[in-house]
Amino acid sequence: MICQPIKYYQRAIIAVCSILLIVLFYTYLSRRQHQINPDDTTIPTWAQLAKGVQQVVTPNYRSGERWLIVDLKATGTRLAIGLGISIIGAIIIGLLMGCIAHVESFFIPIFCLCSIPPTAVLAVFFVLVDTDIKLYVLMIAFGILPSMTTNICSAIKEIPAEFIYKSYTLGGSHMEAIWNIVFRYVLPNIINSVKTQMGPALIYLIAAEMLCSNNGIGFRVRLESHKTRMDIVYPYLIMLASFSLTVDYFLKKLRDLLCPRYIKK
Amino acid sequence: MNEIVLQIECVNHWFNHSKTDRTKYKIDANYILYDINLQIKPGEIISLVGPSGCGKSTLLRAITGTHPPKSGRIILNIEDRSTQVTRPSRDIGIVYQQYSLLYFLTAQKSVALGLKLDKTTISQRMNLWKWLPLRKKHLIESAELLSKVKLEHAVNLYPDEMSGGMRQRVALAQALIMKPKILLLDEPFGALDEATRSELRTNLRKDIKSNTQKECSVIIVTHELDEAIYVGDRVVGLSQHWDWRSKGFKSCPGATIVYNKPSPVFGPNNIQDFEAFMNQKKEIQVALKGVSNG
Repeated sequence: MICQPIKYYQRAIIAVCSILLIVLFYTYLSRRQHQINPDDTTIPTWAQLAKGVQQVVTPNYRSGERWLIVDLKATGTRLAIGLGISIIGAIIIGLLMGCIAHVESFFIPIFCLCSIPPTAVLAVFFVLVDTDIKLYVLMIAFGILPSMTTNICSAIKEIPAEFIYKSYTLGGSHMEAIWNIVFRYVLPNIINSVKTQMGPALIYLIAAEMLCSNNGIGFRVRLESHKTRMDIVYPYLIMLASFSLTVDYFLKKLRDLLCPRYIKK
Repeated sequence: MNEIVLQIECVNHWFNHSKTDRTKYKIDANYILYDINLQIKPGEIISLVGPSGCGKSTLLRAITGTHPPKSGRIILNIEDRSTQVTRPSRDIGIVYQQYSLLYFLTAQKSVALGLKLDKTTISQRMNLWKWLPLRKKHLIESAELLSKVKLEHAVNLYPDEMSGGMRQRVALAQALIMKPKILLLDEPFGALDEATRSELRTNLRKDIKSNTQKECSVIIVTHELDEAIYVGDRVVGLSQHWDWRSKGFKSCPGATIVYNKPSPVFGPNNIQDFEAFMNQKKEIQVALKGVSNG
């Protein structure tokens, strides 16, 4: 029957099968490629990949730094600051836009401008803030803040007006209605919005790092791609995917913890 | 104490206000309410009846203050102080048709919400040393009220875990804990099955009378005549099918009050006069059906 849930262990077995399938397919491709060219690095063997991982986690013979640590630190800092500012900004502006029509009218034209892809505006950001951390923060904020804000605003518009009216009849002020009713009501939507915007935030950051950085995951991927060192590039990509999955998982757990009735609703 | 707690004076309401002069009433098909005049005494239970779409809920929203009337006044008299209702306030409580209980609050927290919003501010709640004991007191008060409406077993249940009848009683307790001067009930039995309706109808008067101050007046909006006569001290009929042609209007100017009479009270100690009940029901039906449109 369609649209029916399956048991947990069935779900786990199917997930493991899908991963195994990818691994098997990759092994087959790699073997075939190495039969044609034994020195190939575009589809490295498992042994080559292990060697690549070893190279990024051990100190570099020239600089003495571990590439992985340097890149993770650089990208992580940029992502954390960019996301933090974007989330706080989106919550404040989104709540105000959803609750106060004047604020909504003010921000609509501004957000129309933000529909330009941030990568296209990179040159402008470059002129405005140079290539320090502000550039990456601006890229992330420009890319995800408008959509997060409009998501929060739309979620607020869907709250039945009776809830707001009732809060006034219970002695609440405007601020209390926003904090106790509106914010709590849309909190799951805010977390969902952060979940969906994690991907775009990473895309904009990696793109910016590829274009104008001398450290970070994007920089390393671009540099090693030019040298066709896929034994280094693939582990970085797997790490990015694992990071996205982990953040997604923790955000889901956070949503379940803070809003246990959300799924039931 | 004032003899009249709520006074509705010449209230008119229409949707298309851009075409209408506010000083002279333009007779327009968009009129919803026309010349509504009503006085409500402290402690009185008024049943507001009328056909679907006649503007009962619009009148209720006007009384709540969320949608003030386009013309006319609604005056609230509390302790020798008269104020015009232009915005919602804690003196006028409301129970909506769908009960509007927040999905993330248990019954106990839903009922305590009013105490939290009314008696404290956000900054006061920041001081946890003062706020936490007060919060505990609010929750105890809320649980006591829930037990009075026979929901002591449901204090920790969320709205999606409760039946329609339980939700109705939680919403009622939520409004009653504020001790409002006026309590508005918008089709409180609308979403319930017949058996639950009948049970709650019997208990509603008791719940209201026993859990509010004597001067709390109640307006119940319903389209069920039996319910209106059974629950209310007075039945007020609102209808757009009144004799508007005799007044020279080209089109119906909206609903007005066509019936306003006391109803036989079906309290536990009263003699249940079913003949009077049936006679009144017929009388209301005739009034609501109207003369010219009938």
